[in-house]
Amino acid sequence: MTTADLFLQQAINGLSLGAMYALLALGFTLVYGILELINFSHFNVFMVGSFIAMWVLQQFGLSGQNTILYGLPLVGVLAVAFVATMLATGGIGVGIERFLLRPLRNVKGPAAMITTIGVSYILFNIILLTEGADSMNFPNPLPPVQFAVGGAVLRLREILIWVIALLLMLALTFFVKRTKLGKAMRATAQDPEAARMMGVEVDRVIMTAFFLGSALAGASGLIFGLYYNVISFIIGFNAGLRAFTAAVLGGIGNVPGAMLGGVLIGLTEALGSQLVGAAWVDVIIFGILVLVLVFRPAGLLGQPAPNKS
Amino acid sequence: MNALAAALTRPFDRLLPARRRQLALAVLVACILLFPVVHNNDADIDSMANAAAYATLALGLNIVVGFAGLLDLGYAAFFAIGAYYYGVFTSFQVMPLWNEYWAPLATLGLVEKINQGGPDLVHFTLSFWLALPTAAMLTAAFGVLFGAPTLRLRGDYLAIVTLGFGEIVPIVARNVDSVTNGAAGLNGIQAPHLFGWSFGVSATPYYYVGMALVAFLIFVSIRLRDSRIGRAWMAIREDEIAASAMGVNLVRLKLLAFAMGAAFAGFTGVFYVSKLQTATPEMFGFPVSAMILVMVVLGGMGSVWGVVLGAAVLQLLQSWFLPDLTSWTHALGELIGSEWLQHVDFVEAIELFFGIILVVMMLFRREGLIPAARRTPALSFEAQHVAGVQRGGFVGLDRIGRWEKGSGNALEIRGVTVRFGGLTALNRVDLAVPAGGVVAVIGPNGSGKSTLFNAITGLVAAEEGSIRFEGADIHGLLPHEILARGVARTFQNIRLFPNLTVLENVLIGQHARLSTGPIGAVLRLPRSRAEERAAAMWAMDIIGLFGSRLTPRAQQTVSGLSYANRRRVEVARALASRPRVLLLDEPTAGMNPAETLELAEQIKSLHALGLAILLIEHKLDVVTRLADTVVVLDHGEKIAEGRPDEVRRNEEVLRAYLGRAARETVNV
Amino acid sequence: MSDPADTILQFDAVNTYYGDLHVLKNVDYTIGRGEIVSLLGGNASGKSTTMKTIMGVVRPASGRVLFDGAEIQDMATSERVRRGIAPVLEARRLFPRMTIYENLEMGAYTRPKGTQFEEDLERVYELFPRLRERRNQIAGTLSGGEQQMVAIGRALMARPRLICMDEPSMGLSPLYVEQVFDIIQQINRQGTTIFMVEQNASMALSIAHRAYVLQTGQVVLSGTAAELRENPLIREAYLGEMQVATTA
Repeated sequence: MTTADLFLQQAINGLSLGAMYALLALGFTLVYGILELINFSHFNVFMVGSFIAMWVLQQFGLSGQNTILYGLPLVGVLAVAFVATMLATGGIGVGIERFLLRPLRNVKGPAAMITTIGVSYILFNIILLTEGADSMNFPNPLPPVQFAVGGAVLRLREILIWVIALLLMLALTFFVKRTKLGKAMRATAQDPEAARMMGVEVDRVIMTAFFLGSALAGASGLIFGLYYNVISFIIGFNAGLRAFTAAVLGGIGNVPGAMLGGVLIGLTEALGSQLVGAAWVDVIIFGILVLVLVFRPAGLLGQPAPNKS
Repeated sequence: MNALAAALTRPFDRLLPARRRQLALAVLVACILLFPVVHNNDADIDSMANAAAYATLALGLNIVVGFAGLLDLGYAAFFAIGAYYYGVFTSFQVMPLWNEYWAPLATLGLVEKINQGGPDLVHFTLSFWLALPTAAMLTAAFGVLFGAPTLRLRGDYLAIVTLGFGEIVPIVARNVDSVTNGAAGLNGIQAPHLFGWSFGVSATPYYYVGMALVAFLIFVSIRLRDSRIGRAWMAIREDEIAASAMGVNLVRLKLLAFAMGAAFAGFTGVFYVSKLQTATPEMFGFPVSAMILVMVVLGGMGSVWGVVLGAAVLQLLQSWFLPDLTSWTHALGELIGSEWLQHVDFVEAIELFFGIILVVMMLFRREGLIPAARRTPALSFEAQHVAGVQRGGFVGLDRIGRWEKGSGNALEIRGVTVRFGGLTALNRVDLAVPAGGVVAVIGPNGSGKSTLFNAITGLVAAEEGSIRFEGADIHGLLPHEILARGVARTFQNIRLFPNLTVLENVLIGQHARLSTGPIGAVLRLPRSRAEERAAAMWAMDIIGLFGSRLTPRAQQTVSGLSYANRRRVEVARALASRPRVLLLDEPTAGMNPAETLELAEQIKSLHALGLAILLIEHKLDVVTRLADTVVVLDHGEKIAEGRPDEVRRNEEVLRAYLGRAARETVNV
Repeated sequence: MSDPADTILQFDAVNTYYGDLHVLKNVDYTIGRGEIVSLLGGNASGKSTTMKTIMGVVRPASGRVLFDGAEIQDMATSERVRRGIAPVLEARRLFPRMTIYENLEMGAYTRPKGTQFEEDLERVYELFPRLRERRNQIAGTLSGGEQQMVAIGRALMARPRLICMDEPSMGLSPLYVEQVFDIIQQINRQGTTIFMVEQNASMALSIAHRAYVLQTGQVVLSGTAAELRENPLIREAYLGEMQVATTA
């Protein structure tokens, strides 16, 4: 492979990772935009989502990459898997909000954030206890079709990931820009008290944000499984770090920003591991995170946040 | 006088524990000393030594999170630095070539020449006892390094940045193979030596060293907590803007908190690794930082004994409760024939309990097992509305001395302009407060009065104009520097430190006038003690100015005080700093007419001492009673100035307040 | 005073506290249907708290708030908006990153979508032609006066029977102040009751039918606009002259 091909391949990888991170970042930013809460549990909801997706696919009798489907059955199975996973993780998110975070809504300080750290650990360990520490094979019904792009390889799964991610992002954008509840969410993020006085039920809006955000985390988990073919209980932290950096880079609370950030971080990871090796990629990503927060907290597309202590 | 003395000595009583507490402490110490003798199980003694390490880590994080309110999620990084420092300088990993320049160090015992079948090499043999303090200094420096970028960040962003640093350190450790031996870690780390005798592998000597370390760090924590430094940290935690305006140097104190917290972790790193004799990157990742956070949350943020208890509980959980729970579950599994139950391992899933602890504590007991805040029962609000109003000004004013009346202007503001984005909040405002004079600033809502105060005290930047205090330019100085020069203020919407007592709030006003630093606080030299005593007496004198309203409440947490009393505490706090100009922002807001009259007379009596006062007030007869000159602001501009009775009759002023009728057909 | 059937909003011995600060002290208001009633008062008099109490952001410790005869003091904000109360908030508080159109849309949040929405939108555009031209402009980029137009339009989109305005003239240039007050009168002529907190007493009294004057949480004066315009005590209330020395 020539250098150009190498970079092209990594660009393809980067975009696929980017799509996954973008969805995860979107979910995170939806909640932050309204509550200004860093939800540490988001990334383990993602991990739980990947396991739920695995169970759902296993119900269809799929295991590993042995069973391959084509055409309508493939679409059907994937559709069911996505819907089921997203509903389940969405439900988990709503549960977390309703029972663990709502009581803390008016408490000042880091109490809510610390609670999300706790929830994150709980989810992580429930999976550890029930599924064990080993990596699990993720059922992948996709046919091993691939295309050549120059000297690089573009697999079907990558196309699928891009398509799905794009569809979900379009759906979310549509929801946020066109539907009544979506507009209520945007209004609440910009001025919760004014929104309340327009008759918006802020509790419902917050619940919706958590549902959608967690559903996106679930979708992201399913995509992770399809991409890597293996999942385990520790995938949350790494992906979470990248998605979080993506959200911050794009502008926390900003929907297009999360998408842009996701793509940028995905590309950084792919090209970075090519250039400096996987171990240092983490340092680069953390470095980006720290630099953005210290020097440009609003991110690339975000509004400068008011300075609260 | 008795009440005064009692209230005065109570803070010092805390240093000399009541007989009961002394007894309890003695019993505890005896138990700890005798434990290895009585219970000669090496594994258990080792667990207790580990518990000691946890406790010192928790104490360190308690300084950063509990005292100063800085949520550090990457604390384990400092633990790592201390550990690797000792590891590198005692293991066989880093071995430069020997040459004669190393000889002097060899005679000091810091290095030795060894030969492993090749050229002569240097083997570092840093003494454990020397490593402890030097590691602390090294990690303190890193504390400053990692803390510096976070100084201006909001709480949640600060947490993330510290988390980032906390992750970078183990990654670096994992990848700089030559120094750290990468993922395999350092081995053969030297055990401590005492008079030539090596600690070896028995846990007992480590246990005693560990307990001594805990005792030492508890002592340091308590000394810091009860000192000027601890007070300043807590002020920062409660309200950093008010703290800054009251003379606390935010940068210095936040960095100090990071440094001290890091130093504790540095100590622990050396101790822990000397016992384990190995150091690997896994020992220092986010899970460890989170575990320390759990100890602090469980025990009580800001509570010294609380976090030690939290560490002990977690250690018990890990070494006794969870293994037992696992065996019981296995037995239950066998009984009911559940495959899964027979194989579950709770010890591995200890983090599940961490998570549960965090969630449960946040939802149900945020203050922790042993809360830091004292729970002095607050009087009901009704009981605080004393029936008798105190007329005639402050009581015992003679005790607080006089202010020398300088000449010229105490405060001189020329052409000050402040803009917020597109909005001009102040437009070329001129104002002068003569030495010993009282000037009132009045104006309708939104006219810029509070912005003026913020500009003078450095909370907001004035784009144009000059601000001079006693002739010297103070424009551009930080709020705490302005306070130190002698300009103190109160806030329109009251910014007290809610979880601190009245006395502590007032003492913060003295922060800039005292000089005890962290070392002085820990050592409690006679000079520091005298300083604290004098400060406490001064504070009680100031509190006593308000008669019986505040003195009985000196040890009460401010959040339980009535609104009017909180306003008084703010005035007391500002007075405690011995200002030469006092800026009062609506001091009588929310008070009924009787209380208003009382406070107005009290302010007047202050004025009689020679203190220059700049007052924002909208009750015009308070203004008339107090002010020599009245300045009227409207929409950020000065529209009138003069004696109170002149201003009251001024048409412009009336129109500013009552509104301009466009058609001017209205005569008011 | 007036026939209860003609009363659209009533405060009955309302007491509100912030902590132990007694912000509204046994306050009574009666707003008649179709009136413009102004609430006047100086700094920290309790005017804003009155508005918040009507909208439900703050709940009274005692007393009743009645809208169209029904007690609303325990009702959720969204329910009150549904019943026909709409706010024009202090300093406008438009949603800064939404367009004019979207802000207006948010005003109609509690109303079911349908042709009425289009009608109301037309009405607002007739009243404020400039908004029609600029309907896709981001609200945060508008001037204070323009924002006030949008804020009033936003309230109208709820098809309210009562509009509560909090300081409509604050921060506006005199030209816009005139326009705003003209519009308030116009809206009122079309049948909407207006309860207006206003610091600019002169302006307020030039269009209001009746007014209340608040001072440190108590109603110290009330009457028709004509009566109050002549009353010298209003100046004292505004300038914060203390009342006759109270017994301690």
